[in-house]
Amino acid sequence: MFLHYIDLSIRSIKSTPVISVLMVFAIAIGIGLTMTSLSVFHMMSMDPIPHKSQAIHFPQLNIMDEGGEWHTDDNIPYQLTYQDAINLYNADADFPRSPSFRSGFSVHLNTPDVKPTMEPARLVYQEFFSIFERPFIFGAPWSKEEQQSKPYVVVISESINNRLFNGQNSVGKSIYLDNKSYRIVGVVEDWDHHIKYYDLNNGAFNSPEKLYVPFSIAPLEEIGTWGNTNGWKHETLNGYQSLLQSELVWVQFWVQLNTAAEKEAFSALIMAYMEDQQSKGRFNRDNLQYALRNVTQWLKYNQVVSEDNRILVGLSFMFLLVCVANILGLLLAKFLKRAPEVGVRRALGASKKHIFAQHIVEVSVIGLAGGILGIVIAQLGLWGVRTTNRYYEALATMDVSMLLAAPTIALMASFIAGLYPAWLVCRTQPAIYLKSQ
Amino acid sequence: MLEIKPIFNALRRSKVGAILLFLQIALTTAVVSNAAFMINDHLSYLKEDTGFVQQEIFSFGLMTFGKDIDLHQQAERDEDMIRRIPGVIDAVFIQAVPLTGGGSSTSSHLRPPPEESKSLSLAYYNADEHTLDTFGVTLLEGRNFRPEEVVIGSDFDGHGPNTVIVSQAYAQEMFEGESALGKTIYVSSRPLEIIGVVETMKSPWPRGDRSSRTSIIPFINVQNFHRVMVRTEASERDSVMKVIEDKMLSQYDQRVIINIRGLEESKNSYDATDVLMMRMLMVLVVILVLVTALGILGLTQFNISKRTKQIGTRRALGARKSDIIRYFLVENAMICTVGLVIGSFAAFFLGRVLMNAYSINALEMQFVIGTAVGICVMSLLAVIVPAMRAANISPSIATRSI
Repeated sequence: MFLHYIDLSIRSIKSTPVISVLMVFAIAIGIGLTMTSLSVFHMMSMDPIPHKSQAIHFPQLNIMDEGGEWHTDDNIPYQLTYQDAINLYNADADFPRSPSFRSGFSVHLNTPDVKPTMEPARLVYQEFFSIFERPFIFGAPWSKEEQQSKPYVVVISESINNRLFNGQNSVGKSIYLDNKSYRIVGVVEDWDHHIKYYDLNNGAFNSPEKLYVPFSIAPLEEIGTWGNTNGWKHETLNGYQSLLQSELVWVQFWVQLNTAAEKEAFSALIMAYMEDQQSKGRFNRDNLQYALRNVTQWLKYNQVVSEDNRILVGLSFMFLLVCVANILGLLLAKFLKRAPEVGVRRALGASKKHIFAQHIVEVSVIGLAGGILGIVIAQLGLWGVRTTNRYYEALATMDVSMLLAAPTIALMASFIAGLYPAWLVCRTQPAIYLKSQ
Repeated sequence: MLEIKPIFNALRRSKVGAILLFLQIALTTAVVSNAAFMINDHLSYLKEDTGFVQQEIFSFGLMTFGKDIDLHQQAERDEDMIRRIPGVIDAVFIQAVPLTGGGSSTSSHLRPPPEESKSLSLAYYNADEHTLDTFGVTLLEGRNFRPEEVVIGSDFDGHGPNTVIVSQAYAQEMFEGESALGKTIYVSSRPLEIIGVVETMKSPWPRGDRSSRTSIIPFINVQNFHRVMVRTEASERDSVMKVIEDKMLSQYDQRVIINIRGLEESKNSYDATDVLMMRMLMVLVVILVLVTALGILGLTQFNISKRTKQIGTRRALGARKSDIIRYFLVENAMICTVGLVIGSFAAFFLGRVLMNAYSINALEMQFVIGTAVGICVMSLLAVIVPAMRAANISPSIATRSI
């Protein structure tokens, strides 16, 4: 019966080509526009590390004295001071954790035939690689011992390894970062992410770093951050050492806490640390305050999905609604024109249910066609987005769930549009039409 | 005269068509007026003057890793070299490049900091007396820095400069109409005398209310990573940009040159999200209006095909063609008016929702009125074609099938 209905609807579509094409286009354009904005939205709000987003946490401390104001929702600075990051790392606990910040070096081999290039780098401790599950192609992260006593080691990314060493195993070789030689201990896969969730400082969709060096290099080579540095009180800085001891916040920190109990234990550790610091003259406030957000909460807190995009998604769904109203009108015209035919079918014994089903199937066929054409239009739209803004290169794409969502939304839209016309036409009284034949 | 009563009665018989039309018009009005308002918002920002001669300026980053030179002396040598390249007007080492989205700002006060006084945030460029010339901004009052006023060093509070040039917007906001020339502002604890006021000079963050509060502070602290801005003859810029890397490296090669970019290119990449939003909204508006027009066309056509017999009868009873056309125009106008009124309310409601949820200004009246007028005209145009066709229905139709 279902196949028969499909056959009937294809015949019907063929007999009214103009109106059918118009309907398919109306759905396609509505779906195309909606899917364009929805895809970008979907990519922006996607969980970047689904199986661990509840486990990886970012601690924040309210370092300000009583009365200090910060521009965050909960009045706590986004980043940590250097001393707090180091102290939290060195605290006696087993949770994998690492401070981190973005900087950069000129990279060369100290030979005239390779021109130095500028590469962004990330300063981290070795736990960073396991927390964020960075897969190594060659070698492994540096050891704890190395990062403490022999820190001139580096993990390079696949693309740098390809450029400088033709993709060969370069572990054990040396490269120059600025004017110092670093031994390569590992080659890690390029980090292909949509959202740079581990460091939102330079924009949530910034490109990943291609070099990793031990955090302990920072004080030795006096490496400054490429991200933000913020302060809450007036401090006179005199050189790099005073930056390290200052109350300026510029270091990120990640800790992996797998269970609620671990989270509680780490919270207690933070609290104890703050009380200890308070006794040493810092944190002059009535209520010690900290935050411990997981990746999902962190992205929300940092408002990663842009306002513009939310507005666009809302507006495009309204647009889809207009398209639905249009299709409803067209369907009414189409179905009612066919009332005499329906009258005859009813007279020959088709039940209302049958008539209704037949028309809903027809609407669905149109909806499906519109949905598929809509994907094409959405691809066009996404291409437009990518060419307008390079920033969206990785974001303006449709993944499988979005490809499936397009026909689903199209079917739902056409179903909503078809419900009333189909109901109207199935109530046709056979007698009227039989009379005038 | 306009037969409103009978038309209204006829509409009550076929509610669905009218309701659909009304819904479309109301929704379209609400969406289009808000979208148009947002488009205008983005457009007026994009058209704003930045004060810089963008097509004559380019900038690049300079990362020095060699440790065997004095960065300040090298900067002097580089500046000299660049200024001597044919086609170059001026060049300057600077800590932040305008319009790129990366720079520095501080708070400025009327009295030294522990004291309570009026304070404003202030974006600043740290560079020497060549800055005005390189930027191409207009000096309204006062004078440029003298070479001896430019301070080289790292201790701003202790041995910093004593002078500053500020933008007109900052001067007006800080001193509320009084002339700023000769007045002193405090940046951290250092007093700076305002010796010049420039017309428009945007900050590194041209979007936002504070983008016009800018200053040039003659304090040079060359870092391993520094930025250089070069102004050339507009026609020479491309050729200078091509040779600059080699020229810089031939001076000294323990360094890397990155991001050689024209100023408008930097501005464009900073603005990319605005442009994107604007384009998407424009596409939305155009297609939405087209779809609604098609919808009106379709529905009128549908109404007419349902009423072929009535129209024939009316014609047979003496109605002229113009009466038939008028009937449909009035009918459409009635639905349209209701749709526009409700749509305008919906527009303001939507505008309010958007304003509360996001950083958007309140929807202005003229956008709703403009949209309403536009949609009204469009819907009348859309109804005319089918109405003319209806008028051509022959009176004989009425008699044929009875």
